[in-house]
Amino acid sequence: MSDILGLFDANLISSILRFVTPILLAALGGLICERAGVFNIALEGMMVTGAFAAVVGSFFTGSPLLGVLLAMFAGMLISLIFAVLAINLKGDMIVLGIATNLMTSGLTVFLLRTIFGVKGAFQDPSLLGLTNIHIPILKDLPFLGPLLSGHNLVVYSALVLVVVVQLFLFRHKLGLRLRGVGEEPEAAATLGVSVNKLRYLAILASGVLCGLAGAQLSLGNVTLFVENMSAGRGWIAVAAVMLGQAHPIGVFGASVLFGLSDTISFRLQGLGLASQFTDMVPYLVTLMSLFAIELQRRRSSLIKAEA
Amino acid sequence: MEPSMKVNKPALNSLRWLKKAWFAIQAPLIAIVGGLLIGALIMLITGHNPIDAYSEMLEGAVGGRNSANLVSTINRSAPIIGMGIAASIAFRAGMFNIGGEGQLVLGGVAAALTAVYVPLPPILLVPLALIAAALAGGLYALMAAFFEFKFNVPLLVSTLLLNYPARYFTSYLVTHPFRDVASGMNQTFQVPENIRFALLGENTQLHAGLFITLTIVILAAFIINRTVPGYEVRMTGLNARFSRYGGIRSKKVGYWSMFLSGAVAGTVGAIEILGVIYRYVDGALTLPLYAWTGIMTALLSGSSPFGVLAAGLFFSAVQTGGFGMERKTDVVRELSRVLQAIIIMLVAARASFQFGKQKDTVEDES
Amino acid sequence: MTYAIELRGIVKRFPGVLANDHIDMQVEKREIRALVGENGAGKTTLMRILYGLYQPDEGEILLSGKKQVFHSPMDAIRAGLGMVHQHFMLFPSLSVSENIIYGSEITRGGFVDTDSAHKRVQQLADQYGLRVDPKARVGSLPVGVRQRVEILKMLYRDAQTLILDEPTAVLTPQERDGLFEILRELVNQNRTIIFITHKLNEVMDISDNATVLRGGKVSGTLKTSETTPEEISRLMVGREVLFRIQKSETTIGKPVLEVENLEVKNEVGRKLVRDISLDIRQGEIVGIAGVAGNGQTELVEALTGLRKTDSGCVLLQGSDITHAPVNDRRQAGLTYIPEDRGHVGLATDASVSDNLIMGYQREQPISRNLLLSNPSIREFSRGLIDRFAIKVSRIREKTANLSGGNLQKVVLARELAHDSALLIAEQPTRGVDVGSIEFIHQELLNFRKAGKAILLVSAELSEIRSLSDRILVMYEGEIVGQLDPKDPATTEEKLGLYMAGAVRDQKPAGQDQAEPAAV
Repeated sequence: MSDILGLFDANLISSILRFVTPILLAALGGLICERAGVFNIALEGMMVTGAFAAVVGSFFTGSPLLGVLLAMFAGMLISLIFAVLAINLKGDMIVLGIATNLMTSGLTVFLLRTIFGVKGAFQDPSLLGLTNIHIPILKDLPFLGPLLSGHNLVVYSALVLVVVVQLFLFRHKLGLRLRGVGEEPEAAATLGVSVNKLRYLAILASGVLCGLAGAQLSLGNVTLFVENMSAGRGWIAVAAVMLGQAHPIGVFGASVLFGLSDTISFRLQGLGLASQFTDMVPYLVTLMSLFAIELQRRRSSLIKAEA
Repeated sequence: MEPSMKVNKPALNSLRWLKKAWFAIQAPLIAIVGGLLIGALIMLITGHNPIDAYSEMLEGAVGGRNSANLVSTINRSAPIIGMGIAASIAFRAGMFNIGGEGQLVLGGVAAALTAVYVPLPPILLVPLALIAAALAGGLYALMAAFFEFKFNVPLLVSTLLLNYPARYFTSYLVTHPFRDVASGMNQTFQVPENIRFALLGENTQLHAGLFITLTIVILAAFIINRTVPGYEVRMTGLNARFSRYGGIRSKKVGYWSMFLSGAVAGTVGAIEILGVIYRYVDGALTLPLYAWTGIMTALLSGSSPFGVLAAGLFFSAVQTGGFGMERKTDVVRELSRVLQAIIIMLVAARASFQFGKQKDTVEDES
Repeated sequence: MTYAIELRGIVKRFPGVLANDHIDMQVEKREIRALVGENGAGKTTLMRILYGLYQPDEGEILLSGKKQVFHSPMDAIRAGLGMVHQHFMLFPSLSVSENIIYGSEITRGGFVDTDSAHKRVQQLADQYGLRVDPKARVGSLPVGVRQRVEILKMLYRDAQTLILDEPTAVLTPQERDGLFEILRELVNQNRTIIFITHKLNEVMDISDNATVLRGGKVSGTLKTSETTPEEISRLMVGREVLFRIQKSETTIGKPVLEVENLEVKNEVGRKLVRDISLDIRQGEIVGIAGVAGNGQTELVEALTGLRKTDSGCVLLQGSDITHAPVNDRRQAGLTYIPEDRGHVGLATDASVSDNLIMGYQREQPISRNLLLSNPSIREFSRGLIDRFAIKVSRIREKTANLSGGNLQKVVLARELAHDSALLIAEQPTRGVDVGSIEFIHQELLNFRKAGKAILLVSAELSEIRSLSDRILVMYEGEIVGQLDPKDPATTEEKLGLYMAGAVRDQKPAGQDQAEPAAV
């Protein structure tokens, strides 16, 4: 029993945020695309690219911060390819999304071997990960301390970005236009708003965000790169967008839920359950949440009917 | 009154067919050339010689002593083609099944365990293993369909997510309860020799299971194009509202196509176990990316069975050739994966594919 | 003299069709000009060129004498043009103000200034007498109000000339009169109006002049006060058009469709179809009139099996099909021409023959033992194509390439070939050229003559009046009136009153025999 309670210690919050961050960032990217009417399932691929690029950047420059920047840039590059093929050449977004994921998977493994000469994973004592920032006064607060202080830059950025995206979508001129483009592109076009331009921006934004998410995976949670490091988190992010109804606050909540299950799965391993079962947890939780959406929808329409 | 139909002339027909074929080939051809060029660029940037690499790749795909490489290509193409057919069965009906990988491994492990542990004579055991595999894959896919129809859980997401539990579960089975500990690896015991598919010749690795795959392709083509259920599947995939309107029970079509899709995927797993690997090895079915490559062949060929066959052979050649390329040059084989994906992206960009998406109405020009 | 709008020699080609053939048009300031023509004559294309959505292949546009080139609607808007499209271009999830300012937002440092937007919208609304609530979500607004939002969108951008594309398609006669008042007020305030329509009574009502297009050319420009609907119609079609189709008398037989107390609810329990009872007999066409959105679609869906019936009873030739699946209803003798032919009545990516055999695929000789017989399919398809004069070059051609009229013929051919007892036809001639309209009407009448029953749902009052033996009007899910088209008292105005819910019959309508009124 104490073992189970041991799961929930002060470090839990810290852990959760570390696991939530990649999903949250990718999901924010996904939600911006969704709002613009772009069905982007290449989040997974852009994330793994970011993870790899972050390691490359940090290793060769000695600065994890530069690694993060490289990750964002790499994510953006991949998203640019996706954008050109999907928007300019009008390719099918689902096919392109899957193809992008396959391509980045192969590309990162190829580069892993070509650049670092290893297979499977790259780890090195001289590889620097992201450092945690301890905020002077906040860190000593009784309960809120571990919640507010001691996270790395990417985690803090992710939390700030939730607010930024919220403000952007619902208060800013471009956010309004983006939402219009996603809802009725033809109507937007007749009012002079460039649908393609906004969709481009949305895709590139998601590329940057997913790159950032990948950086958190390889430099924030741990300090190494493993083949296919994103391990389906891009898809969990897709589910988070659905669960959160493409709304920043909702998506934040969904990401926390999934991040929580990720954390718990990690810790359950310490309890002696076979790793394969704990590994399943995040995916099963995500699936169940999709059920929950439907059941909630039915309940609310029943309530409306009785009203 | 003028007849509104052109008279059918045989010569005209074959010319028309040629034109259609050329048209259909154009996009993939340009994509392949484009892909090879980009691949060459990547090689140059990373300091390799593209000409050497590609010629070794070609040799690695179709050459070798006694055409050993060609045999490898054909052997490897079978699961790719099989998974491509599995995917196209679902796609044709408008069902976004991208959970082939999960269905594949469940089928593989079901076949392996049946073959290893069930004491029956081969004449009963082989079919039983195949059936077990088909059921495992089929029911797993059916479950996702159930979630879609009863709970509105989108197939695209659910099938994808379900891949992971399936992979982890089968991994668990061969890492713990059913592991052949003595072998030192995460795998089952070997399948008894009399269960395995016969090799087709003295010095070849081609096995009898290939005929099963070929049969599946031909059956799929026949059913889709020449039968009533095939018609109903096609119409449901092209426009589910239309098929409902016409009296077809589109949900029934959906359930059946998902079940069959998963069943074929499971069977592909069984064929690999009984014909090539002779045991279930953790990762043996997933590492070569059979399921994902299969999905891409289906998408690229518009879910046409013979298109899947051609694309499957092509991708297999690229992959097998990649191994050869790695042996003889210092270009790692993963580049072939990149090549495939680039080619796929280029093809995807030029054509549009049907998943059961509804196109807009003909715009009325007023 | 300089005109507000002048088009000189406009030519526009699309693959296979010359949509606009050297069109000249001059519109004066403060004029209301009707642009008339049948479907496919080139009216919308011409206005889209004027509005910058298309570029002309040849020709010039002049506004107040100055040559203009519009690369996009933005250019046209900046030059003072505004267009209200047939299908509204609104964002349902955004507010009225957001819809109006979209693309030309009032901002403070990049952020939208919502308060100022609301104020400005209210100001405009008051100035032109267009009642709206700036804060309301457009998705929750009725069609008439949405149209006002569209007009305000243009006025917000200082449009001097408004182009309206079939604006009355979704309005009741009363709402239409309201719109016309607004248009007159706009002209009072120095605006110019161009008005695309194919409804001749509206041309006579509101326009000062009419430009008639036929086959991409201007076939005439008339002063409305000096012309007649017949003359306009002749210019539209090039020959005398029958205003009233000759309908023969038929013997009315046994009831084919009997509907009793049918109710259909939506997800939250609201009744979309309320306690409807009606019957249709052999040799009868019953027409349902009503503004779109008053339950007609749901009624038809319930009858055809595409939607659940919540209570009530439906009998087809005596068999109870109330909860039967679609296929059983078809077997029992029901066929259906749906309103949405592209998304429901056809699979546009499938071949013509594939579309024609839908519903027959399990019958001999099309198939035997679940095996399709290609020769039989070919023969069947060719037979229908010939009989219905459907223009296709090969039966394997994808239906996406066919014109609206031909597509509808495919649907009609397929459904009629069943020779069923009951045909339900929804908007059977929407978006179809006049030649095909006549053909379709004739086929429907032949069907009736053969002793079959037809339930006709249409937004075209002229079609309802000329084809139906009885007219039922639906309003808010109920049948509020039954009228006899042969009765001279059944005018469009009277129908309009029923359609708007201003008038209703005392007894529940629908069945020929009077029944005690339900509470």
